[in-house]
Amino acid sequence: MKIILPDQGIVVIDQSPASVEQILSDLGINPLEVIISRNGTLVPEDTIVEADDEIRIIRISHGG
Amino acid sequence: MGGKKHPSGSPSCCCCPEPSVIYQQHSHRHLCSTHFIHDVEERVVQGIENNAMIRPKDRIAVALSGGKDSTALLLLLARHLQRWQDVSLFAVTIDEGISGYRDKTIKAAGQVAEKVGVEHYIISFQDLFGDSLDTFLKGREEQACTVCGILRKKALSEAAKENGATRIATGHNLDDEAQSVLMNVLRGDLMRLVRDSAADTSDCFLPRIKPLAEIPEKEIASYLFIKGMFLLLPECPYTRFALRGDVRSMLSGLEHRNPGTMLRLMESKKTIGKYLAGSSGSDPLHRCRQCGDPCSGDTCQVCRLHQSLGR
Repeated sequence: MKIILPDQGIVVIDQSPASVEQILSDLGINPLEVIISRNGTLVPEDTIVEADDEIRIIRISHGG
Repeated sequence: MGGKKHPSGSPSCCCCPEPSVIYQQHSHRHLCSTHFIHDVEERVVQGIENNAMIRPKDRIAVALSGGKDSTALLLLLARHLQRWQDVSLFAVTIDEGISGYRDKTIKAAGQVAEKVGVEHYIISFQDLFGDSLDTFLKGREEQACTVCGILRKKALSEAAKENGATRIATGHNLDDEAQSVLMNVLRGDLMRLVRDSAADTSDCFLPRIKPLAEIPEKEIASYLFIKGMFLLLPECPYTRFALRGDVRSMLSGLEHRNPGTMLRLMESKKTIGKYLAGSSGSDPLHRCRQCGDPCSGDTCQVCRLHQSLGR
């Protein structure tokens, strides 16, 4: 599964299916500071994602 | 969380068979994109109406940085004001003069204002105060947010008055408001903690309204993402100097582990405000002896800042 990080870095994880919540926890990311899209669609953290999904983690907090 | 799973792997919406796009901790509901958009729009309208934020014949200056909160604010206000024939909106963007940052957000602000179809005024620190923020801050970068906050507030107020505003609307969300409560506690600034910027003091300050103050930041970002209007914009280079950054991280961690923390902080502010109402603790307004602007002491913050900057 391909994960696009907030800094645009990419990691690939083998674990699937997996919950978005678990992925964020493993990456040390607070779910309240990001929104998550799966294949371009917004999903809640208790979504189960599969090996062929592309997950994008988008940071929402910006100063200014 | 929990909830019946849709074949997509996301729990179903609590109101229809569609897959949810968000779980709202405060309502304990999963919502699909249609019901979530409707929910946010209705809560903003309820907030405006319950707090009488808008009155007939108002002309509202919307502080539009081009970031997500002000973009959502303009979209939501424009939608709501379709019902109000005699209320008008315009957008104000402050160009502080922050190299490599503000140009991109000003462009985004212009595009949103054009899409919504409102007048858009851009006012710069250079024009109003004689220099850019970058120049003001040379050698004193750690004071960035204090200096910027004071000058930006003045610039917004000037642009609003100049263009006939009766009210200023800002895009502060629930997270911003809760952070401000905690920051004022940490600074020991009780007066600022309970100050009501919406109070009608039109002979002094223009009243300020915050229609998004009850909407969590994550919901605002989600709203814009669903609307196809969430932009990845650069972060202000001075953010790393801000107390707010530390408070934001701490508070979002607390909220994640103890849902409802931010709402409870806001309730605390209201309770303290009630205890202090009418007490001698509230500062009377004076006029600045240098510029004549309303302020709480002898000299306003802008004039004090000019002095400290050696200007």
